[in-house]
Amino acid sequence: MRRVAVLLLATAAACQSPPPVALQPGPPLRLVAAPGVRINARLKPALEVDDGTIVRFDSPRVTPDSAYFAAAPTAAPPGAARRGTLRVSVCPFGQGICRSLSMAVAW
Amino acid sequence: MRNSTIGALLLAGFVAGGTPAPELTNTSWLNTDRPLRLAELRGRVVLLNFWVFTCGNCTRTVPSLVAYDRQYRERGLTIVGIHTPEFPPYAGEHDKGNLTRALRRQDIAYPNAQDNDHRTWDAYGIRYWPSFVLIDKRGIIRYTGSGEFHLDDGDYREWDGRIRQLLAE
Repeated sequence: MRRVAVLLLATAAACQSPPPVALQPGPPLRLVAAPGVRINARLKPALEVDDGTIVRFDSPRVTPDSAYFAAAPTAAPPGAARRGTLRVSVCPFGQGICRSLSMAVAW
Repeated sequence: MRNSTIGALLLAGFVAGGTPAPELTNTSWLNTDRPLRLAELRGRVVLLNFWVFTCGNCTRTVPSLVAYDRQYRERGLTIVGIHTPEFPPYAGEHDKGNLTRALRRQDIAYPNAQDNDHRTWDAYGIRYWPSFVLIDKRGIIRYTGSGEFHLDDGDYREWDGRIRQLLAE
């Protein structure tokens, strides 16, 4: 059976609010932003795998100012390890800010 | 005052009654020949800008800050960039050379501290990039806020008015 573990990432403070970003299993691993949320393309999301590997997400499609991804960034799944920490800089529409998310994930 | 209390006040957008601004203790600086300390800036209005060069919302706000610096520096305003990375060092935000190039690219002439360990970010209870703290001539936090703004938009004019007010006191 195909391993399917979609992990929802939520801020610690946002108990019941929709998660700003979802990690979809791959290959490739895919980061999908919730509606109204943009992912910072100048600071590519990172998956810090428990074995020490660091995997960066990327997409060739970015907004004209190169500030945000215009398509879900993807990354090749790392080796055997299946757990780690995901870091994403998210910038909600209309708020003029970015904030940093750091979440333990497994896939 | 505990940092958590300062943070709660900053999130509220203002500090009633006046909270002394936590001292800057960063050791690595650009655009100044020595580390800046708020105690040495008494008598000047200080605008802290918490930012990072990988944040588009931050870099789009820089032209406004450059304009304030050019307009008000001689009249008593000191703008201080507090460059606080989002990610660990592997992302390149901690690198002084990268920050130097970012300052040059954006024509930033005001001092910037490398806040690589988040000490100033934490001391002020900041949560978002970009954020702003406006400190009066006595070293009291008077206005705080966050979010991108642009030359001559409403937020720009509001911060401009606040700067003028504190310069006039």
